Amino acid sequence: MQDFALYPFDPPGDILALRTDLRAWLAINQPEGDIVERANCWASFDTGFSRALGAAGYIGMTLPARYGGGDRHPLERYVVIEELLAAGAPVGAHWIADRQTGPLILRYGSEEQRQRYLPGIARGELYACIGLSEPGAGSDLAAVRTTARETAEGWRISGQKIWTTGAHLSHVMLALVRTEEGSERNAGLSQFLVDLDTPGITIRPIIDMAGNHDFNEVFFDDALVPHGALVGERGQGWKQVTAELGLERSGPERYLSSHALFAALIDAAGADPDPAVAALIGELAAEMWTLRQLSMSTAAKLAAGEDPMVEASVVKELGNSFEQDMPRRIQAVVTSGWEDPDDLARLLRALLIASPSFSLRGGTREVIRGIIARGLGLR
Amino acid sequence: MSTARDMLCDTASAVFAEAATAGIAPVEAAGFALLLVPEADGGFGGDWGDLNAVLKIAGVMAPDLPVAEHILSGLGEMSPALHAAATVSLMAGAMEQALALSVEHVNTRQQFGRPLGKFQAVQQSLAVMACEVRAVDAAAGAMAARLDAAGFTDADFEIAAAKLRANRAVGVVTAIAHQVHGAIGFTQEYDLNRVTIPLMRWRGAHGNDAHWAGILGRQVASLGGRGLWETLTARAV
Repeated sequence: MQDFALYPFDPPGDILALRTDLRAWLAINQPEGDIVERANCWASFDTGFSRALGAAGYIGMTLPARYGGGDRHPLERYVVIEELLAAGAPVGAHWIADRQTGPLILRYGSEEQRQRYLPGIARGELYACIGLSEPGAGSDLAAVRTTARETAEGWRISGQKIWTTGAHLSHVMLALVRTEEGSERNAGLSQFLVDLDTPGITIRPIIDMAGNHDFNEVFFDDALVPHGALVGERGQGWKQVTAELGLERSGPERYLSSHALFAALIDAAGADPDPAVAALIGELAAEMWTLRQLSMSTAAKLAAGEDPMVEASVVKELGNSFEQDMPRRIQAVVTSGWEDPDDLARLLRALLIASPSFSLRGGTREVIRGIIARGLGLR
Repeated sequence: MSTARDMLCDTASAVFAEAATAGIAPVEAAGFALLLVPEADGGFGGDWGDLNAVLKIAGVMAPDLPVAEHILSGLGEMSPALHAAATVSLMAGAMEQALALSVEHVNTRQQFGRPLGKFQAVQQSLAVMACEVRAVDAAAGAMAARLDAAGFTDADFEIAAAKLRANRAVGVVTAIAHQVHGAIGFTQEYDLNRVTIPLMRWRGAHGNDAHWAGILGRQVASLGGRGLWETLTARAV
């Protein structure tokens, strides 16, 4: 069984000042918006907010200053993102670029790619999407069939991605495609940075059950990208993607994205709550506090240069269950009607409808549990 | 982990192994009542992190002995909250042991021509169990860190949250451990019941779920929605 030692969360610098400054900044710059936008806020796109946040130095914090970054410690960034999520700030536009595309470009990208993309990411102006899932490759990611064929003028990409969140609002896709003809499964895959205005790319919306347009289908019809669009080593795409998913799965968004609902429940309960409501608040608070400890320990392990693949999966599994069960448990004890206009009722309805996606995005519950089982020494 | 804590844990393992057959006397003789007593007062000068580490071992090796009571008696401190805190550490250890026994069993026991651990249904169950075990371990560690940072008079939130979280894990952990073991786990002879019965007992000891959920819920309600976040971040990092 792998070692699960807890890592102390010990960021450098004055963390109290970092929180205080950011809270003061948010008090001025966070758009009032609708309360429902504050729940699931990493899906809320607000390019104006992202630019302002970037200008204030809160995006690309861990990137080197020579690429426009903040040269800050990863755990300082952790503190900033947990504050943004707890406040329900609309961080969706830059979220993926800041969380995973930027760090991946820094780690595996060429100097040209770093200079081309990282400053825009850090300014909160350049947005990215993740090109992994395909119609025949969902949980079974190694079944990817989109191909890139090397030619004299560059790479020709053909195939289709699906469930691509934010593709219609993004500038670039980090796509996993098959570069080695006849290769199978996780061999022969490579990653490309594909500018989405490239001719031969078509983006079509998929409307989700909440009525929102987050998902897209992205079609590649012999789209030509330059030789320099290949990221890292040809044929090493699987290894690079695995590292990227570690960044994706362990963050505080896995337990804080519905925080607006919990806060609304607490406010609606008042100082002298009904016993059943008080008990639920107590249970949710205990779970949230525990998840925060797990997430911080995992972030600390990641920051120490270790690979917390299994811990990240534990955070995702427990966090998804916490967030998915929260609206259901709240509905069981409050009197809110489905159509009621108050904050609690509206957040409750929105999150009941949104919550099935929580254990699908970023790896399904079944895949995540499989990773944990392997970490236990099963299989 | 510090070298001193490693040595302490080695000692605890040896003493608790002896105590498993001899009773509490070896624990008393080894001076564990001095664990939390400051060095200036002739004690070991251990902190809550040390206590957490020692009690996790006790939860595995001597779950039926009053090890936690003995260690806390050295403080002369009989606060119910401290007994709840100590119980969380025992529970974290016992849950680790239930998981270790379960993993070993499913990797060894063969049915349908292969180890049980090859079946996805079993893998998924053990993953669920492992998440609960990791959560309780994290809760116990964070609770101990707060006790060390702020003293036991200002760790009420963490003790309540950790005991409640540990209590809520008991049902899942004991149910899955027994389910994957099959009939052998239900025998008196096999070791699993040596940790699962104490886990059932500890859930109701020093505050069951309803007790701590009510206390914590009323405390959080008094903070307000924004106040909860401000309090959490003010209390740890």
